[in-house]
Amino acid sequence: MPPMNRREALKAAGFIAGGAFLASDAILAACRGETRERPRDRLLDTDQQTLAEEIADTLLPTTASSPGAKAAGVGAAMNLIVSDCYKAEDRQQVLSGLETFRTTCRSKRGKDFVDLTRTDRESFVRNVANEQWFGPVRELALGAYFSSETGMTKALRYVRVPGKYVGCMPLEPGQPAWG
Amino acid sequence: MTTDERTFDAIVIGSGISGGWAAKELCEHGLKTLVLERGRDVQHIKDYPTANMAPWELPHRGYNPRKLIDENPLISKAAGYGEATAHFFVKDADHPYVQEKPFDWIRGYQVGGKSLIWGRATQRWSRHEFVAPEKLGYGMNWPITYEDVAPWYSHVEQFIGVCGNYDHLDAMPDGEFLPPFDFNCVEKHMSDAIHARYGNRWVVQGRWAHLSKPKPIHLQQGRGTCQARNLCMRGCPFGGYFSSNSSTLPWAAKTGNLTVRPHSVVHSIVYDPKTGKASGVRVIDANTHQQLEYKARVIFVNGSALNSTLVLLNSTSSRFPNGLGNDSGLLGKYVMHHNYRVEGHGRIDGFTDKYFFGRNPTECILVNFRNLGRQDTDFVGGYTTFTGAYRERGVETDDLAGEAFKDAQTKPGPWGIYMYMQGETIPKESNHVRLHETKKDRWGIPLLVVNVDYDDNDARMIKDWRTQAAEMLEVAGCHDIETHDKGWAPGLDIHEMGGARMGKDPHRSVLNEWNQVHGCPNVFVTDGACMTSTGNQSPSILYMTLTARAANHAVDLLKRREL
Repeated sequence: MPPMNRREALKAAGFIAGGAFLASDAILAACRGETRERPRDRLLDTDQQTLAEEIADTLLPTTASSPGAKAAGVGAAMNLIVSDCYKAEDRQQVLSGLETFRTTCRSKRGKDFVDLTRTDRESFVRNVANEQWFGPVRELALGAYFSSETGMTKALRYVRVPGKYVGCMPLEPGQPAWG
Repeated sequence: MTTDERTFDAIVIGSGISGGWAAKELCEHGLKTLVLERGRDVQHIKDYPTANMAPWELPHRGYNPRKLIDENPLISKAAGYGEATAHFFVKDADHPYVQEKPFDWIRGYQVGGKSLIWGRATQRWSRHEFVAPEKLGYGMNWPITYEDVAPWYSHVEQFIGVCGNYDHLDAMPDGEFLPPFDFNCVEKHMSDAIHARYGNRWVVQGRWAHLSKPKPIHLQQGRGTCQARNLCMRGCPFGGYFSSNSSTLPWAAKTGNLTVRPHSVVHSIVYDPKTGKASGVRVIDANTHQQLEYKARVIFVNGSALNSTLVLLNSTSSRFPNGLGNDSGLLGKYVMHHNYRVEGHGRIDGFTDKYFFGRNPTECILVNFRNLGRQDTDFVGGYTTFTGAYRERGVETDDLAGEAFKDAQTKPGPWGIYMYMQGETIPKESNHVRLHETKKDRWGIPLLVVNVDYDDNDARMIKDWRTQAAEMLEVAGCHDIETHDKGWAPGLDIHEMGGARMGKDPHRSVLNEWNQVHGCPNVFVTDGACMTSTGNQSPSILYMTLTARAANHAVDLLKRREL
């Protein structure tokens, strides 16, 4: 049995009622002695950015071949891109996607996503992967990872100055795509 | 500043792709030449701030900030516009104009102009394109033929460096080529399949202003081999592609005869009734708004098609009350563009064991096969199709999280083929620009009113192209084939042409066969404004060619004291 997360502990202590998740956020934050901080000029608050990065890292974990999304610092990049580069309606889709993700996880798994084991996180992401609301979050995660130095140079192959163009050559076994 | 300091042998208005050529030729022939540029200075390499940045080194990793787009809804539509290149495009708010009909006027105001951000495709016109409009009844003959420009094409190609394959095609003549960029394996397959099916349709390697293998003349310019980075529009620190900044302007400067004056907005050309020629150029300093007048014996107008036309329209005198050289009343008329509205694509199976190395800065060309010498469709004009095969990133996967998902995202994906059209449009008097009667810009120059539209011929061409492109994609082996009408307004092609067309008959044209203004022979207009028709090839190299030809003619006339 995984260790109880904060929510479970609070619930057990009678601070909050099960199910009233959204309404309880402020109380929860207050109990943690936290306010929901938002990085300057960013759309996602700190919790949302953390959740976004954990989702990205579940999609794109560190593997034998390359560091994952978290190691690439994708959370901050996701927040930057969605804040500065997305249209209003697309920003809203990411925000609501993250919130739906958060509440769905709590209702289906009884825990915050960040408190699940990696195996459980992957299984939860697989379960919601085909939901329409998840698409924009995934797209942002992939965009941020594959435009990062880690994503482009470790997961993909980026040659800063190729020097020449060779139009047709064999693909080596296991060769990643060009970044 | 004394009068002497304001007197030159020649003045060139504009420092872009044709202005740079005028400066080079005139300076090489010993003329003290002043180049007036309305924008800021841009020095080769030094002023390319993003040229070496990897995606993650850009502030938004190449994503375009909404602020940039919201503040520049027009210019941000341009191909290649983004946070890595925005500094080479104007800002919408700074340079208003009046769109009577939708027209996206894409401008780059700096030394080098749009030569920094051009597409770099450099095919020659075919002999047919010069005569087709009159032969097939949709326009007027050019006062020149292919034979007149062919040696000047060679002159330009040898200097700028054009890669390409010797294909021996009537519809797209060979030039002086450096080695072509490779086909990738799918492009080769497409080329073979389309030729096998149609016989007279050719997908060939792109002819592009890139130094695939520089010659001594290119090394002497300080330029080197194209490094296949495909970051061209940020400015190339290797000088791998041609721009005024990397090539013609520094070459002209080496003669000691060149003066470039940035921040110089040209108000008008001054006509001297005593000599029957232009005496100089009125300039407004973009920053101080001080009015200056520069004098010269020869004036080249290379401000880009619509701006050159604007300058002529604004150059009024008692001899030319409606604009310099406007005896015909056609100045500002017959403005044209290339029809870029349609694209198509499809996916192709196989070739998964084949890949490529480097980033190809060129595209293949599907050579025009329509209305070549005779009309064989229900529309007039031809179309060039640019095409290429690409390989996506990522393969499909059933596992939607974790290691397997990540691995799938990093693998080379399926291949696809794209095509898009560059179609000839019909020259029409009704497609015009003119000066606004009351509205002026911050320098007191009347705003340009643009009234340019598509017509039924464009619609028929689009219909045919979509049918043919879809069929050829299928012939190449594609599935999931789609074609789209992007609905672009004219102008977004960034191939605006005409306004001061060349012609034999001064009653029906503004410029003669040497690009001289009818009635004011020491003013030469050699940029897109001079175009009599659009052809279907990319126009920039023809502007350079006509400029070199005209500049040498001007020098001959000066030597013979005929100017």
